[in-house]
Amino acid sequence: MMFWRLVFQLLRGSRGRLAVAILAIVSGAAVISALLNLDLGMQNKLTEEFRSLGANIVIAPPNAPQSPDVGSAAPVLYDEDVLDIGIQSVRSPNVVASAPYLYIIGRAAGTPVVIVGTWLDELRKFEPTWQLDGSWISSREDNGRCLVGRNVAQRLHLKLGRSLELAYADRNFELSVAGIVDAGGADDNQIFVNLPVAQKLAAKEGAISVWQLSVSGTPGNLSDYTTRLAGVLSQEEVRPIRQVTEAEGSLLGRIQFLIVSMVVLILILTTLCVLGTIAALAMERRKDVGLMKSLGGSISRIMGLFLAEVGVLGAVGGLIGAILGVTLSYWMGLRVFGAAISPRWEIFPVTILLMIVVAMAGALPLRTLGDVKPAVILRGE
Amino acid sequence: MATVVEIENLRKEFGSVRALDGISLRIDDGEWIAIMGPSGSGKTTLINILGGLDSPTSGRAIVDGTDVARLDEAGLTRFRAEKVGFVFQQFHLVPYLTALENVMLAQYFHSTTDEKEARQSLERVGLGDRSEHLPSQLSGGEQQRVAVARALINHPKLILADEPTGNLDEVNEQIVLNLLRELHQEGHTILMVTHAPSIGRLADRRIELAHGRLAQISATSLKPEPV
Repeated sequence: MMFWRLVFQLLRGSRGRLAVAILAIVSGAAVISALLNLDLGMQNKLTEEFRSLGANIVIAPPNAPQSPDVGSAAPVLYDEDVLDIGIQSVRSPNVVASAPYLYIIGRAAGTPVVIVGTWLDELRKFEPTWQLDGSWISSREDNGRCLVGRNVAQRLHLKLGRSLELAYADRNFELSVAGIVDAGGADDNQIFVNLPVAQKLAAKEGAISVWQLSVSGTPGNLSDYTTRLAGVLSQEEVRPIRQVTEAEGSLLGRIQFLIVSMVVLILILTTLCVLGTIAALAMERRKDVGLMKSLGGSISRIMGLFLAEVGVLGAVGGLIGAILGVTLSYWMGLRVFGAAISPRWEIFPVTILLMIVVAMAGALPLRTLGDVKPAVILRGE
Repeated sequence: MATVVEIENLRKEFGSVRALDGISLRIDDGEWIAIMGPSGSGKTTLINILGGLDSPTSGRAIVDGTDVARLDEAGLTRFRAEKVGFVFQQFHLVPYLTALENVMLAQYFHSTTDEKEARQSLERVGLGDRSEHLPSQLSGGEQQRVAVARALINHPKLILADEPTGNLDEVNEQIVLNLLRELHQEGHTILMVTHAPSIGRLADRRIELAHGRLAQISATSLKPEPV
């Protein structure tokens, strides 16, 4: 107990001088913990942002065409149930949306148009960025309504609630327009119906063109899930949509490099600041060390006191800085992503440990106290 | 009576300056010795060597059976903790520790601390009610009494006092000298550096140094010296 009593008194006795060091440590810890929390939180936020770009895994037959054959029947088809069972067997909490798709080229009011049959209740999860005039269709059994792309609606002068006749070969279906989609891309030229409608139009009950999934998490999570899925569906081609995943991985890599570089730089600057303060403190402590040696204090016991003092300084500064930093990253998350980045608890021990190491590295000038000759110091030289 | 200090042909040189030049001396258990002499005569150098704060250039300085000249750094550290207690002219208390903690600091470096014993030690020097005060809140005399309490706390074989009243007024000087007298009566061995003949006369023997040599030994009861 005397050890900690002495450490406390050392801290109290030099509080003016140490205030500079603790300010440096708190500042360094705040920025470092903010960056680390931002880095960890950003991986999830960026992944969420990329997920808003739509599906990122497609299950297709090997060598399947990327788009349906215009003017012909649907391309190579799958059995919906077989794929469903396969996908269900590979469970993952990261699967945000999963749905089969059947693409056919049909006619709407006599005009050729791409009809997309899918589970309309999943569509909203796949395409959270779509602007929709009207309402989403929340049931995959709703076979009386459809969503229409903006361009199709303009060309065919469609309004919400109006009925629309879809035809394929000699079959037709009458549906009402529940919503008009503004996707800002190729989806604006398509009509979205529930899967059974498209299957009945094409007279392909239970058949689909592709299965799409939207999976959250890091690129690593995605890669892991793709591998597991490919293991189960060995006859099919399970492929991540490269543009999205590679852009995500590349961006995250560059941001991480930037953050790690900044963390290292701040660690060096904080260490230098602590170093300067401790060097001045070491000069002040020469007399105390001389006295302690004259009382029979070994240099290891004396240095133990000083290092504990510096360690406490690093730990307390690290804790205060980590709290400030996590708060800072919460605010930065709101500003940059429009959503708060929640605190990652692992940041606290990491920041505190880093600050203890910084404080210890900054305490190097204390080594000079080992050379203090008590007789010389006590003579007042 | 057992010999506590035995010095043989002790020399100490600082470059070309000879601080101690072949001193031989013996101090018995329970003796109060006053070391006197002009500035630069080697008084402080002598007690620094006997206290393990400095090493001699040659000769032997045996304190309670330990030849200080042969000790390495770690040995000197243990020697200082166990065998001697210092009282300095400048008091030399740690400014951010209370009177009690300054006494306990010596205990801490010796072995383990005992707050009760440290308080008793302060009560012994009349500072029981000042134990929680910082040195800056104490008078010079009180600070010196804390230093005496600290010197006594580990029951050292030898108390080394370097001009213990040099910075005190008359009243406090008398208080500290009374303390030393009491310690002497209790059987402590005291080696005290002083300039003042009146203080020197309180000791059993007065040893005069000049240019690093023994110039004179006078005593109330003279004993044969191996000079």
